[in-house]
Amino acid sequence: MDQNVKTNKKILVIEDEHFISELYTRALNNNGYIVKVVSDGVEALKECQTDQYDLILLDLMIPNMTGFEILNILRDPSKSKPIHSKIIITTNLEQRDDIKKDIEKKADAYLIKANLTPNELVDFLGQIK
Amino acid sequence: MDDFKKLTRNSKDLVFVILAINLIIIFGSLDIEYYLFNLSLELSLSISGLLGVLFLAVSYLIIPKILLSPIKIIWYTILKLNPNQEGLMPKINQNKILIGKELVTNLIGQIYNITNTVNQDLIKIEEEKTDLKTDFLANRIPLPIFVLDNNENVKFVNKYAATYLGLEIDNILNKNIYSILELSFPSNDTFDTWLKDAKNHTAISTKSWERVKLNLQDNHPTLYFDMVAYYNLGNTEGYSTIITLFDHTKQYSQDDQAINFVAIAIHELRTPLTLLKGYIEVFSDELEDNLDPELKSFVEKMKATNDQLNLFVNNILNVARIDNDEMILKLHAQSWDKILTEAIDNINLRAKVRGINLEVKIDPNIPEVGIDRISIQEVLYNLLDNAIKYSKDSKKIIIKSYLNDEGFVETTIQDFGRGIPESIIGNLFTKFYRDHHNRSQVGGTGLGLYISKAIIDAHHGNIWVKSKEGEGSTFGFTVLPFDLLSKEQKNLVNNEIIQNAHGWINNHSYYRR
Repeated sequence: MDQNVKTNKKILVIEDEHFISELYTRALNNNGYIVKVVSDGVEALKECQTDQYDLILLDLMIPNMTGFEILNILRDPSKSKPIHSKIIITTNLEQRDDIKKDIEKKADAYLIKANLTPNELVDFLGQIK
Repeated sequence: MDDFKKLTRNSKDLVFVILAINLIIIFGSLDIEYYLFNLSLELSLSISGLLGVLFLAVSYLIIPKILLSPIKIIWYTILKLNPNQEGLMPKINQNKILIGKELVTNLIGQIYNITNTVNQDLIKIEEEKTDLKTDFLANRIPLPIFVLDNNENVKFVNKYAATYLGLEIDNILNKNIYSILELSFPSNDTFDTWLKDAKNHTAISTKSWERVKLNLQDNHPTLYFDMVAYYNLGNTEGYSTIITLFDHTKQYSQDDQAINFVAIAIHELRTPLTLLKGYIEVFSDELEDNLDPELKSFVEKMKATNDQLNLFVNNILNVARIDNDEMILKLHAQSWDKILTEAIDNINLRAKVRGINLEVKIDPNIPEVGIDRISIQEVLYNLLDNAIKYSKDSKKIIIKSYLNDEGFVETTIQDFGRGIPESIIGNLFTKFYRDHHNRSQVGGTGLGLYISKAIIDAHHGNIWVKSKEGEGSTFGFTVLPFDLLSKEQKNLVNNEIIQNAHGWINNHSYYRR
């Protein structure tokens, strides 16, 4: 909505469902984001640690290393250098409350993918400061 | 050595050991399997021909299995009477039942171990003036144990209990058990009710519960266990109740997570929904100007259908949550006008594709309400969706919201469709969709209304329906102004401001703040 201003932000999309990342990339590119897609957990962690992204969209169910594990490592100073990227969990998985509480402490937002369209996602990212 | 005598007299272990030794002496040195085999062989030889062979085969199969299994259980129990240093039952690398001299030797070994530990404990008692029950009995039984006085205060707790709960013994002692163990039982048959009953009716009572859930604070995961309690009014110290816990966290948390299955199923359903939503958006964005009106309306219908399916998927999840007692609401002060308008906007397309007009009358003087945004939106979506579904040929739905006489914020949704038969109106908010007799009459309404009622109840509001067959239905519900709610339910209103400051956009939806 107020997203007419093009951004030059770098965003890492961690998503193993190719059709979804394709749709997200399209919408993000249209709004000026520079997008990189990674579909493998181990590779995703390495990419996050380069700390060159403003935003990270992190799916929880990805192969080789889950989104939980990646989040835990990134937010644990003894395991990983702190990064400046905002981490937005994008998943279709509902959590038990105890697990959700844990994620709440570490991530900047939590989204259910099925509840928003790619353009709504872009709008949402525009609100994240 | 008086304590030691008392101990050996009272210790169940030792009584059992001595009993077992006496039994062995009666039996003598005996290989019981060999003896039983010989018995069946001799019996079969006395029967001639094929029948004899058959009898031999059958008895050889049956005798060890049926006859020996209870003996085997006792034998195993004797062999591993006292736990090892870690408090665990030692492993037995022996399958053949030998109740003769081997067992005697085993028992002698065990008695040696027990007396040895008692000796050490007695020395400690003399030096440190500790309690024999504390040091010997409870800390050598590898189960969490709590002993309570008549006021349910913890008077004794063993180290396994403290470790299990992740607490220090000193933080448990003299506290009320209910403040230490925050338990959820699978039914109304709880520890609390049993204890009250035991106090009123019996002098001694024992009771066990399966699948008890313990909610621990902070980051500790939930524990699941079987729980057993023993009540004895005549306890000389006045410590009437003993509780033991048998941990089954691994097993129960796995099969207790029916919701996990639901979560996985929903995850799978949502992936194609996400994609359809995305593609529909691309189509409507890119082709909007080029499509003829009919195709354009099809794209809109696709979107409306997709939203409807998404609502249904969320409903399934919510029913599972309500049934598992896992729906947790966080009530915040919110602008009702804004929330209601947003929900109506979101569902407007669904009405539009069916040619239905939504008439909205929201009073301007409605105060801020105390609600859980996502949940209330689900209520609104369900009620609006039902109104659209059951509008039949009528083309109007009236939505009103106002402050009612009791000072609650009331919202009504009126359709002019088929209405609801009087015979089923009383059951409308119960978990109705499972009643196969009524399903055909009511269609899918049960699920959404059941959820709506649970959510409105949790908001301390009311939900109601007025309907006349053939003329339509009006569904209404109330929520409380935030000021009223915070006055009445101080503990209910969670302070979520801290989380917002952290940049957290709460929970699972785009629209939640």
